[in-house]
Amino acid sequence: MFACINWPLAENLRELADAFSPWVEQVAPDTVLFSLDGLHRIYGDARSTAKALAVRAPGANIAIAALPDTAVLAARNLPGVVIIPQGEEMRYLGPLPLDCLPLDAAIWKTLDRWGLRTFEDLACLPEDGLHDRLGDAGVRLQRMARGALGRPLKPFVEETIYEQRIELDDALELLDPILFLLTQFLNELCASLKSQSLAAGELHVTLNRARRILRLPFPTRDVKFLLKLLQHNLESELPGEPVSILILRAVPTATRLLQHDLFTIPAPEPERLESTLQKIRAMVGPKNVKIPEIRNTYRPGWGPAESPLAFRHFRPPLDARVELAEGRLRASGIQGTITEISGPWRTAGDWWRADAWDQEEFDLVLSDGALYRLHFNRQSKKWQLEGVYD
Amino acid sequence: MAKMTALALPLGWRHQTDPDCLPTGIEGIDFPRGRISEIAGPSSSGRTSLLDSLLASATSRGEHCVLIDTRDSFDPPSAAAYGVRLEKLIWIRCRGNAEHALRAADLVLHSGGFGVVALDLADVPAAGLNRIPPTAWFRFRRVVEPTPTIFVVLANRPVTKSCSTLLIETRRRSVKFLRGVDYEIASRKPAGKEPVKFHVRLHQLAVG
Repeated sequence: MFACINWPLAENLRELADAFSPWVEQVAPDTVLFSLDGLHRIYGDARSTAKALAVRAPGANIAIAALPDTAVLAARNLPGVVIIPQGEEMRYLGPLPLDCLPLDAAIWKTLDRWGLRTFEDLACLPEDGLHDRLGDAGVRLQRMARGALGRPLKPFVEETIYEQRIELDDALELLDPILFLLTQFLNELCASLKSQSLAAGELHVTLNRARRILRLPFPTRDVKFLLKLLQHNLESELPGEPVSILILRAVPTATRLLQHDLFTIPAPEPERLESTLQKIRAMVGPKNVKIPEIRNTYRPGWGPAESPLAFRHFRPPLDARVELAEGRLRASGIQGTITEISGPWRTAGDWWRADAWDQEEFDLVLSDGALYRLHFNRQSKKWQLEGVYD
Repeated sequence: MAKMTALALPLGWRHQTDPDCLPTGIEGIDFPRGRISEIAGPSSSGRTSLLDSLLASATSRGEHCVLIDTRDSFDPPSAAAYGVRLEKLIWIRCRGNAEHALRAADLVLHSGGFGVVALDLADVPAAGLNRIPPTAWFRFRRVVEPTPTIFVVLANRPVTKSCSTLLIETRRRSVKFLRGVDYEIASRKPAGKEPVKFHVRLHQLAVG
């Protein structure tokens, strides 16, 4: 059996519910739902339990029912204390108007068009036909209206903060002692996470006042791996001052579940891959290791390409000198006579932004036989070699 | 008899087995797994087209690939147009630093699990290429040998010497505006194969 208290005037409703049961779901700020399992040993039958609840919550709407959502609907929509015996749900819920159900606009419109007004109207419809027309959502609503929708309770659990901190009298200037302390912190945090079957999804490291956030590619509580990531992070971006306050916080998340398949194409192990990428990021810079993407724009080099001709960019574009009369081109390391040319194709965009572009593009073959893309920037009046087709 | 031959080999020697190959979509050009392959050629000779077709072939099979881009010249839109699934590709930009590129390649190969690891040394100045110690290629060969990874090196001229199993030299044949570019691929190692000609045009790759 479940009890639901709906009491808009209450200040701390959950505390009241906690006095009756350790499994309390906070449905809304003014509504709590809890299980009555075992309470019959203290209060006797449901009627006596309801009386005890009414004494603690005078003026509240209280409902006791066999299923959680039935109790919630009754407490929210029926005044006073209501005890609904199992099997008699329709007698209590049947006359309630349909807008007491959590309906979305589309389903509400459909039910209204069908002329349905009360729970009883909806409960009488054949379940198969309702499923054909409204799908699973429709059947779920009908079961709710019949008082026959079961679900497990979602008990409120106090959020645990997984944090370790230390304030030192003598500030640390070297990385090694900082890593030593971080190892201890990680051991503690990972043990706590393991006891709750959780893993770290993010690590927040605070050095004095500066906070860094390490977003992990997958949830883990592997101390060695986490320490390696912290080490790479600290080495790539040194604290810059002696550290006297060190705080490490792990953001908990559900653990990773993996089911390997015999026929799956082998992929890099996430732990090793992340560790490798961290090392490479520390070497070439974090912005230089990424998954390439195509953006939704016509900006040259960013948006989708129309031709599969492979292209190599000169980054940044090479300033070029073009002698129009003689058809000669000269840029850093590249020079020759233009033998064939195609263009111009004018492209412009983002005129409302500081990095707007407006240029005329040419494809040209130089006397060395290579095919280049040249553009004339209409804003800076400069010729630039953008790259080479390859 | 074969068993006796195997026993007679000195310690540390192993029999060479034919590697599995990954087709590129261009007839006659397959890249061996667990080996170093090299694509060499000047600008506009089709070397990047060949690399893109290899990456397209590997990523379309669901394999994860890495491109180590020494000169930061990779163009994602044209690669995607070629059929490369960009979400399966990790792009490491080395901003012209060949030493960083080699170290990144070493780390990636040791990490393992990739279908193709491409080291793009094209357009790196000759002085930079000359500074690469030959032992680096022997080291890469040893690392990649027991794995199913294809390690491809792209450069203006052959650099891996005897460490590569496959060496492809590319040449451009002709450019026809609004129609496409003709390329020719000559395999120098293993020798004796006929050159393959291919044509890249606006919306498809044709072999001919």
